[in-house]
Amino acid sequence: MSKAARDVMLELVDVCHVYPSSKSTFDHGQHRVLDKVSFVLYRGETLGLLGRNGAGKTTTLQLMAGILAPTSGKIWRGPGCTASLLSIGLGFRPDLSGRDNALLSAMLQGASRKLARSFLPEIKEFSELGDSFEEPVKTYSTGMRARLGFTTALKTHVDILLIDEVLSVGDASFRAKAETAMRERIGGEQTVVFVSHSPRQVEALCDRAIWIEAGQVSAEGNVQEVLATYTSGTV
Amino acid sequence: MALQAGASRYHLGFLWWILEPLLWVAVFYVVFEIILKSERADFLVFLMCGKLAFIWFSKAVTQASNSIVANRGLIAKVDIPKSLFPMAVVQESLYRQFVVFALLFCSLWVAGYGVSMAWFWLVPLLLVNYLMIVACALVGACLVCVIRDFSMVIPLGMTFLLFTSGIFWDVRDLANPELTSLVLAVNPVAFILDAYRQILMYQSAPDALHLILIGFGSMLIAVFMFHLMRRTSQYLAYKALTA
Repeated sequence: MSKAARDVMLELVDVCHVYPSSKSTFDHGQHRVLDKVSFVLYRGETLGLLGRNGAGKTTTLQLMAGILAPTSGKIWRGPGCTASLLSIGLGFRPDLSGRDNALLSAMLQGASRKLARSFLPEIKEFSELGDSFEEPVKTYSTGMRARLGFTTALKTHVDILLIDEVLSVGDASFRAKAETAMRERIGGEQTVVFVSHSPRQVEALCDRAIWIEAGQVSAEGNVQEVLATYTSGTV
Repeated sequence: MALQAGASRYHLGFLWWILEPLLWVAVFYVVFEIILKSERADFLVFLMCGKLAFIWFSKAVTQASNSIVANRGLIAKVDIPKSLFPMAVVQESLYRQFVVFALLFCSLWVAGYGVSMAWFWLVPLLLVNYLMIVACALVGACLVCVIRDFSMVIPLGMTFLLFTSGIFWDVRDLANPELTSLVLAVNPVAFILDAYRQILMYQSAPDALHLILIGFGSMLIAVFMFHLMRRTSQYLAYKALTA
């Protein structure tokens, strides 16, 4: 493998993150979500992040996106490199139409109003929402929301794409379409961090995998090897 | 940003922009004019000038205070400037207030209060009023985000201001003139409300230096808060998500 030759996009060094464990008392109860996590993300790779609920996967993504600052440790980001979290229903406003929500989401991901507007026909077509696109989002079913959220996020362009469980929703045919679209984007120069419970998806999409357990990196490296330890460890 | 679609939630939609402040005025009118028999002949106009301007301040600041916490779903997903949330509330209230003030000025005109050169003073007065709202909204939003308990205190503070800013009583009618100047000096809201009345009802200019001082002070606080919120963006996100 020629990974050593690749550029480092992002590096986590001994990152710890602590949440207060109770809000009603005045003690210093703390819950350590991440404990000395270190790993490296290379340009153009797709990294799978595996772990159980509450293992610290989402927190890791939030730290990588710069939404949160680590309690201790360092996060090194490549110069001028932007990381964006792709997630479903990015602050959807139920009273606005699907179109307005798509526009807002795209703008929140950093697109200008004009650029965001130019995405809209594409979003409408890919999401297959048809006339519902003009209806308020509060009338949507969960699956329809997921379609809109996924499509909107897919069309924005960032250096590092952080994906949190987005492919686990929607019906079978849309899921297949979403996975194909994902694979197309991943196939290019896009750097991706992909969080999932599903070993099958990680196997299908990722170059490398990391298993996080109880706030620490339990296994790292080749997808097959990590998956083997993951499935044997969790069952 | 066009977030005003919130109006579609209610049956009367945009009408509530005007209706709500007017209902407030009606409530005060019933209590202080019909039940308590105010001495003033022009009480309704007097009340409208004070109350309509005060609602702008109190509603915007109260809503903005909770705005960061209310948007934590979004904060969990994007690293955006946290001042955006209170500012969105303030901007929205500004548009709403244009309609309310248009109504106020029209009713004053209908009631026979002439439009004079003094009305030009409304421009700096509105600007200072706006700056004051921005400053208070940013401070309030940060306080509530860092210590959630402030969301209980802020409405209480607003009620306190409602009673102390001379909305249904005239600051200038106080028995002791020193007390009048003390209230005006200590409470900028009282000064602003009084300035609206001086311009709209008596066609006279407000104290320019005092107005500039409030405007300058508010601007300083607002600039400082913008800077602070940019510096502490991740800390605010952490607080909004966990506390």
